[in-house]
Amino acid sequence: MGRPGLNRRQLLAGLGGLSVASSFGFAALGTGTDALASDANTRVRYWNLFSGGDGYNMIAMLNSFRKDHPDIAVKDSTLQWGSPFYTKLAMAAAGNRAPDLGVMHMGRVTGFSPGRLLDAWDVDLLAEYGVRKQDFNPQLWNRGIIDGKLYAVPLDSHVQLCFYRKDVLKKAGLLGDNGRMVPVTSTDEWFDVLKEAKKATKKGLQTIGIWNSDQNFQWWFFVAFYTQLGGTWFNDTDTEVTFDTDKATQVLQFLRRHITDGYANPTFGGPASAEQFVNGSPFVWEGNWSVPVYDTAKIDYGATPLPPVFGKPATHAESHAFVLPHQSDRGGPANEGAHQLAAYIIRHAQQWALGGHIPAYRPVLSTDAYKKLTPQNEYVSAMDHQATEPKVWFAGSTGILAQRVGPIVVSSTMGSAKPDSAARRMKSELTRLLASKNPMDGKTAAQGGAVA
Amino acid sequence: MTTSAQTIVAPARAKTAADTATVRRKQGFQHGGWFVAPFLTLFALFVIWPLLRGVYLSFTDANISGDSANFVGLDNYREALKDPLMWETLGHSAYFTLLVVPCIAVLAFFLAMLAHHIERGKWLWRLCFFAPFLLPSTVAANLWQWLFNPGTGMINHVFGLDTPWLADKSYAMLAVVICTLWWTVGFSFLLYLAALQGIPDHLYEAAKLDGANAWHRMVHITLPMLRNITGLVIALQILASLQVFDQAVVMMDFTPGPEESTRTIVQYTLEEGFTSYRVGYASAISIIFFVIVASVAVARMWLLRKREEGVR
Repeated sequence: MGRPGLNRRQLLAGLGGLSVASSFGFAALGTGTDALASDANTRVRYWNLFSGGDGYNMIAMLNSFRKDHPDIAVKDSTLQWGSPFYTKLAMAAAGNRAPDLGVMHMGRVTGFSPGRLLDAWDVDLLAEYGVRKQDFNPQLWNRGIIDGKLYAVPLDSHVQLCFYRKDVLKKAGLLGDNGRMVPVTSTDEWFDVLKEAKKATKKGLQTIGIWNSDQNFQWWFFVAFYTQLGGTWFNDTDTEVTFDTDKATQVLQFLRRHITDGYANPTFGGPASAEQFVNGSPFVWEGNWSVPVYDTAKIDYGATPLPPVFGKPATHAESHAFVLPHQSDRGGPANEGAHQLAAYIIRHAQQWALGGHIPAYRPVLSTDAYKKLTPQNEYVSAMDHQATEPKVWFAGSTGILAQRVGPIVVSSTMGSAKPDSAARRMKSELTRLLASKNPMDGKTAAQGGAVA
Repeated sequence: MTTSAQTIVAPARAKTAADTATVRRKQGFQHGGWFVAPFLTLFALFVIWPLLRGVYLSFTDANISGDSANFVGLDNYREALKDPLMWETLGHSAYFTLLVVPCIAVLAFFLAMLAHHIERGKWLWRLCFFAPFLLPSTVAANLWQWLFNPGTGMINHVFGLDTPWLADKSYAMLAVVICTLWWTVGFSFLLYLAALQGIPDHLYEAAKLDGANAWHRMVHITLPMLRNITGLVIALQILASLQVFDQAVVMMDFTPGPEESTRTIVQYTLEEGFTSYRVGYASAISIIFFVIVASVAVARMWLLRKREEGVR
């Protein structure tokens, strides 16, 4: 013994070779194609966060823009969704290396230091390229206006939906004559629906997937139902928390009941919800971006906005919006190209609708092509019943608000906290956030002027 | 360890030899200085400078946009020490460390014994135990994400369970620990294996002649001879485990886990710096964390020296 045999050397050499080979492989994957056309006069650099099906649709739209406008070269970069994207965009803007055009979630715009990290749109120039306020839902358009200036132009609304299996619901007698799910207007009716659906569900599958352990989804569902109850967050001047703990408790109890009554199995609370749905579970609550997933799975399904169980219809909505990251010398052909490109994509959003998103540009919605899209045509009304996060600097997709308050909703849904105490914790967290200062400018929400 | 002891006693015994050694060492340093220069440059650029910069930033209210950073004195530190989330996340990192370190030490030792004593297919054992360590953390974490999938994953399937591994706060950290064990045990395994091979055969032969059975040989020869390496394994694992970040984040899809149960101090620092954009505050947290990790390292050195003194 004692001496290492030759075996080890062989082993290490072999493994070394393996890891070198694989690193080459990954390196090769990392190289993308440069879309820079050689005969173009203007170059527009465009950053987005779309991957998967959205990425495919976005690139298709960019390619048709390139075909129609050979004089403009679009250099697009796709970055990782979520916090890393915003960090990169912020640092690029701060370091004056910002792209000409960017995409953000509407809710993040207020906290993104508009005026300093973002430049305002030239409304007249946009109108020249066919994008005008009257073609949008006014509530949605106004979310992009801060201190009277337009900083974000909406591309879409993406909403939380109640997906349902038509085959299972038919068996349970829950499908109306129009082939859609029977309407629901109260929590009692909703749980009756679940009860009937459960009877028709295959063994081993849950009745509904509600992402019970996911802080983002649970937060979005909370926002939806809390808005249905008419709940508010802060007063108009953002000086006081108006969060209603009674209403919040009601919502939290409602969410929790899906588990205690045995309709949602906590084991299948994450991405497994979607798998169960594909396998035959009757319901799942999900974002509209799952439409292409279920289309590909070739299942017979429909999708409605989250049921208006508290009376007033409302479902959580966020929006992808075009922004102009700050450039100290913004202007000239690149800036005009950015306006042109954004306007083009917004107006040609039919392709975008395939990804499940509701195009913000209304004329698209009234085209025959759009009206023929299912299940998109079933939930298009969600555009007019948007439940959105408050317009403060800490809100927005994967923002601080969701990160701090989302887990509290989860703790209640999962049963480790009582709904009423969770509601109180939410309120104290909201109070703390309202008093905290935006690190970008050292101002609180009240001082920050997040007013439309 | 033995070399340092020799240098200490050398001057008394042979002065001239020591003198030449010093001269040689001096020349060696000057000569070697050029060899380490590329490393030192990078080290200064990417470790020393960011560290100093981090210390400076921790006394300011710097944000990610890079301008208007004001000096705020100890405010960030005061806030951090009162911040329940910092203590909570520090607790998560400590809990992870507490679970991982003993398991790794025991498992690595066991696997090394196995690979050392089994005669057939030695290379296969070594490969099996060490190979996962070569994977990038993201690959290991994604793999286990699939294994832990409640509906279709292998773990629940094989053991006939219905456990929401990654969705319930009572299991989430455990799942991260299991993944980490599988992924990193190979490194400690290799250290143990090398140490096992370094134990002189004559000790075992003498023990056999004295009638010691396999158990006695392990307890009275193997384990004591591995004492130093065990110390090293534990120390290295503590330092590595406290800094847990990537596998936890990837397994939880970049969230803090169910009910924030797997948010580690490193993840919290990242969030404060890059989601909340509070670079100054995040720097303060990371300095506090640095002090904690550094004191673990210093404590280890101190213990080691105490032990060496005890041995002499």
